[in-house]
Amino acid sequence: MIPASPQTQDLAKRLIAYEMSGDKSFETKAPAAFYVCETLRPHLATLMGDTGFHALLSRALVLAYAHVSWLQTVQVKADGSLGVSDKVAEHVAPEKMAAGSVILVSQLLSLLVAFIGANITLGIVREVWPKLSLNDLDFSKGEKNDKAK
Amino acid sequence: MIKQNDAAKRNVSKKVQIVPAAKVTIHKIPTGVRGFDDILGGGIPEFSFNVIAGTPGCGKTTLAHQIVFANATAKKPALYFTILGEPPIKMLRYQQQYSFFDESKVGKAIRFINLSAVVLEKDLDAVFLEISKQVAAIGPSLVVVDSFRTVVRKATSGASDLEMQSFIQRVAQFLSGWEATTFLVGEYVQEEIRDNPLFTIADGLFWLSQLVERNSVVRKLQIVKSRGHDSVPGLHTIRISADGLQAFSRTLGFANKKKANPTRGRRLSVGVPELDEMMGGGIVEGDSLLVAGPSGTGKSALATQFIAEGLRHGEPGIIAIFEERPPGYTDRADSFGLKFETAQKKGKLEILYLRPLDLSVDEMMQEILDAIERVGAKRLVIDSLVGFEMALAPGFRADFRESLYRMIGALTGAGVTILSTVEVEDTFTALSFSHYTISFLTDDIIRMRYVEIDGQLRKVIVVIKMRGGNHSKDIREYVITDKGVVVIHPRQTEYARLSTGLPDRISQREEVAPEPKATK
Repeated sequence: MIPASPQTQDLAKRLIAYEMSGDKSFETKAPAAFYVCETLRPHLATLMGDTGFHALLSRALVLAYAHVSWLQTVQVKADGSLGVSDKVAEHVAPEKMAAGSVILVSQLLSLLVAFIGANITLGIVREVWPKLSLNDLDFSKGEKNDKAK
Repeated sequence: MIKQNDAAKRNVSKKVQIVPAAKVTIHKIPTGVRGFDDILGGGIPEFSFNVIAGTPGCGKTTLAHQIVFANATAKKPALYFTILGEPPIKMLRYQQQYSFFDESKVGKAIRFINLSAVVLEKDLDAVFLEISKQVAAIGPSLVVVDSFRTVVRKATSGASDLEMQSFIQRVAQFLSGWEATTFLVGEYVQEEIRDNPLFTIADGLFWLSQLVERNSVVRKLQIVKSRGHDSVPGLHTIRISADGLQAFSRTLGFANKKKANPTRGRRLSVGVPELDEMMGGGIVEGDSLLVAGPSGTGKSALATQFIAEGLRHGEPGIIAIFEERPPGYTDRADSFGLKFETAQKKGKLEILYLRPLDLSVDEMMQEILDAIERVGAKRLVIDSLVGFEMALAPGFRADFRESLYRMIGALTGAGVTILSTVEVEDTFTALSFSHYTISFLTDDIIRMRYVEIDGQLRKVIVVIKMRGGNHSKDIREYVITDKGVVVIHPRQTEYARLSTGLPDRISQREEVAPEPKATK
């Protein structure tokens, strides 16, 4: 597996931070990545269908396993949402949980970039999170369309 | 009674005053496909319901994308529904390789929606509901359903023909009502045209096909139906390149252009004064002249002089060559003291070297037409017709003469004077002009040939035909010098049967050979 580029990781961190802002982080024990993926799901399902999104997220999860062992307990459900045992939150340190979330979202974004390119990926992200400022994000460097190899 | 009569009079006067209602103006939207608007007679009628049909791989989806990218804006967005075939994510992956693809339009101006799940899991009513929901929400000016065939295939497994027709009609009426120009993309075969209700309801039917002949693939486009406006009939060649589709109209884009009106009867010099004289004063402007002769007789030299003479008189030119390379042409011109490079630098002359072996005749001609437009050419050389034909993919050669005829007709009609060369074999028994049926291709014919005289292989030239008027019937001897083709004196020779190549001496007059004979 080729690790996600720093730009993709930066984007993943911003998306997670945005999704977890407010009261959300105190209400639930689900990993932060779940919220980002869940917000993206209907938009990407429009582009690739539920089956297509399911396949893409499953692949991102498998690629993320290599770096984050606790992600092996995560499953992609039939509808494309993510599921995990509540016990994970009890046994995994919050900082490891956060790092794993970034890697999973990074892998998902990297796969998108590999399929449709950085510009369209960023276009989708902007459409999904219109209030999120991404103007300083430079995807022109470093991101190659070979993450899926 | 009086009142009734007055009322009747008023009615009559009202009727008289009625002004006939103005016809509705149907605006046409550009396709973004070079050449396609010409074929369509200006573009696609707004709010029309169209079908893009054909077998897989002939460019249907690319055509739909090109139209959408050419027209969609944030204010007038497009909705692109995909069903069971290629999902949008794959379309985005592959279509972005084309130059027309504008990433900034994806999302706001062009929205891709995958309807696969609705089609798979629900019925036609649900499909219609989903389409209408999205259309009502977004208010698109363009709608594409790709592929509509899969909707029909899924639906017909459980629905009757009548239900299917009703569904198509509902979709058509709804989308037209919402002022959307619609394109249904689908894989169909020609046999389906007669019975499929979709083709009855559609306003426009664009048929794409892909034919394989020997080693070449030929893509064709046909406007089978275009309700309410004229289009150019017949099969038109299309090519898919990095810029997407390009269509080559059978009329080469001349269908809607006004004909130029060259000064009728004006004679142009071909650059050889004696030959001008033989032609009755030169070539008539807007004529097509064929120069036929075997290899080495100076056809290209004459063509070079023809172009150079035009340049001297401020007439830009194009030389389309298929055998010799451009440096060879400019070197020859240099050797005659004609500086082609200066004219090339000034944009008054282009030498096109066309030998891409898989091009269609229409594409080749488009290259020539584009060059003519670029330099505002008044003179064109095609050197040679044999090389032109050989440069084409085998599948296109059958169309060569017909297309050449169209191009020459259109160009000469526009006032361009054409000199084409053709290589013919000298048989030494007869004087053939060409293996082409040339009479319809050319107004004028000049024949060059070898003759054996007094132990030398000399060259003679004769004007066979001048459509513009009378011409000399003399067979004249010529040489190629450092000035080019030079027709030599005397005007008459003491030989007969020159046209056979093996003439008989009819006079005892001692003749001086135009070029020195070998000595012992």
